[in-house]
Amino acid sequence: MAADVIAAARSEQRTLLSEVEAKALLASAGVSVTETRLARSIDEAAAHAAELGYPVALKVVSDKITHKTDVGGVELGVADEESLRAACERIHERVIAAVPDAQAQGVSVQPMAEQGVEVILGITQDQQFGPVLMFGLGGVFVEVLKDVAFRIVPLEPRDASEMVREIQGFPILEGVRGQPAANLEAIESMLLQLSEFAEAHPEIAELDLNPVFARPDGAIAVDARILLTSDS
Amino acid sequence: MAVTRERLTRALAPKVVAVIGDKQASGYNWLRSMKDFDGPVYSVQVDENEIPGIEELGIPNYKSLTDIPDQVDFAVCAVPRQVAPFIVQGCVEANVGGVTLFTSGFAETGEEIGVELQDKIYEIAAPSGLALIGPNCMGLHVPGLGVRFNRDQPAGVQGNVGFVSQSGTHGMNFSLTGAAHGLYCSTLVSFGNGIILEAADYLEYLADDPQTEVIGMYIEGARDGQRLFRTLREVAAKKPVIIWKGGQTEGGGRAIRSHTASLASDQAIWEAMIRQVGAVAVHNLDEMIDVVKATLLTKRTQGNRLGLIAMTGGQSVVLTDAFEKAGWKVPTLSDESYAQLAEFFNIIGGSYRNPLDAAGTIGQDPKHLDTIFDILNTDENIDAVGMELSATFMARRWQDKPEEFDRLIGSLKKFMAESDKPFLAALHPSHVEEAALTARQRLQEEGIATFPSFERAANALRKASTLAAV
Repeated sequence: MAADVIAAARSEQRTLLSEVEAKALLASAGVSVTETRLARSIDEAAAHAAELGYPVALKVVSDKITHKTDVGGVELGVADEESLRAACERIHERVIAAVPDAQAQGVSVQPMAEQGVEVILGITQDQQFGPVLMFGLGGVFVEVLKDVAFRIVPLEPRDASEMVREIQGFPILEGVRGQPAANLEAIESMLLQLSEFAEAHPEIAELDLNPVFARPDGAIAVDARILLTSDS
Repeated sequence: MAVTRERLTRALAPKVVAVIGDKQASGYNWLRSMKDFDGPVYSVQVDENEIPGIEELGIPNYKSLTDIPDQVDFAVCAVPRQVAPFIVQGCVEANVGGVTLFTSGFAETGEEIGVELQDKIYEIAAPSGLALIGPNCMGLHVPGLGVRFNRDQPAGVQGNVGFVSQSGTHGMNFSLTGAAHGLYCSTLVSFGNGIILEAADYLEYLADDPQTEVIGMYIEGARDGQRLFRTLREVAAKKPVIIWKGGQTEGGGRAIRSHTASLASDQAIWEAMIRQVGAVAVHNLDEMIDVVKATLLTKRTQGNRLGLIAMTGGQSVVLTDAFEKAGWKVPTLSDESYAQLAEFFNIIGGSYRNPLDAAGTIGQDPKHLDTIFDILNTDENIDAVGMELSATFMARRWQDKPEEFDRLIGSLKKFMAESDKPFLAALHPSHVEEAALTARQRLQEEGIATFPSFERAANALRKASTLAAV
């Protein structure tokens, strides 16, 4: 499975995996992700949504587009089939306007996950140390405050526990202002899975799981981006 | 062929030393630096103009390494770069334990000839098992054996700090300035380009070296970062490791499309690595010296509550600020402690809240200091004790009445012996620096952890207490 996804990208000389491919790869490694399917037509999108259950999220799939939200390629909380058909049309119009040569393969369809604290987990390759893991709070926290912790792969359980607690925003994970606490063990085990994933796949140059919803009952990645190394 | 531990030990703890290519122009620095070496020292020099000067130093000179009638364990080589490969070949043939190549002008220049010569040296040394240190380095300093690369370095003193440095200057500065702080090296290696032996090799040696109690390292980059990471993880679990990372390497021209990659700066990764292995990061020579000192001279505590003794009200305030900014708490003492302090404390111009503003009380009767220490030792709210030693007020008095200073030292050492709580002192520079220096040296000789400012004391104790190995 993992080999198929990577081989397919290599044969097409792509280094950026689609969200659907990235999530399939992660799911095969046991990482909790929202089930995400590729739809090449509006009818196919409607069929997937019916099986996965509404509400769903729709995102454009194109290897020309890295930041899907910036080009209007995302529709969230789509409630039923009628809304889905309209949403697909809107995505198509906006993306064509923003990126005329997008050559979109279609849209990805996934169920809307139950919200939690938004966190980011990532992998990058350091020139000296090899694969490195990152953890932080997602959204504005990672963009502006850069409140993140790093560890060198391979991680020991203690490393995962320490890096979660190292960020300034840790109290948010413990629950503030009546918000429930996130399940820290679920985040830690996802970090340890990613450490193994990084060791098993040295061809992964960069990975972002952003956001991961950290909830009281577990953690689930709702978006995933994987960039392969340029040498195969 | 990998360098065996036996070969490395011959090089780093030598019984016989040779200096190759030392010259009048350098003031025979290498030969003179070996004058206190604890064993035979030989010179190898073919230049007829240089030989008489070498023989005047009383050092036997030979034209070739293989002519030396002894088995050489460690050689220093200071020849021009074109000659270096031949010398390395000679070391291999003479079964020298290890050689340090002071010679520079190799890969670090980026020149084709430099890279070629370095490759040539590698090809000669690697299959032979020769413990090659460098090139482009200052090499080895073992004060206990009198091995030096600078004549101001101490000799004839057995130190306990292992030091590994990618830079010759920072290694040398640690050995010199550290010694002025009473910190002596067990073994110091400056390894430069590290083409055969790199930081991880020396760390493994120092981890097993019984003389080494704490390890300091100055590093700019690692050729094999994973090996360094894994080695440090093992070494730092055995002995305290303090790491000074110099320089920032470029991320390179990689395509960065993720948050993770864009945030993974060189500094962020190194700091994370250092934390992950259970070592501690420092950022300059002063901080290196402070944290090594705190690690060696203070006990470890899991707690973060400090009892402080100051000499004036004003210092009580800034002493508290300095420690709290470094992450310490300065709590109120227990009711029991207050009851005991109330019995004798002079509150006119003093206070015993915490910090204890105690100059008047101690001045009244020096025994009061022992009582204060006893109270802080038993107080359950206190994990560690810090004290201001005021050179401004006291240095002249200590000079005039040395028995008062002796008495003070006695009180500090009594507390250190009786209590499990770490103790440290701050003695700022003052207007009577000569008298303060005498006091500082004495404190150092007595093994009392003394720092030149409250901030440095607070930071050193904080960092020492985060080390994995204690």
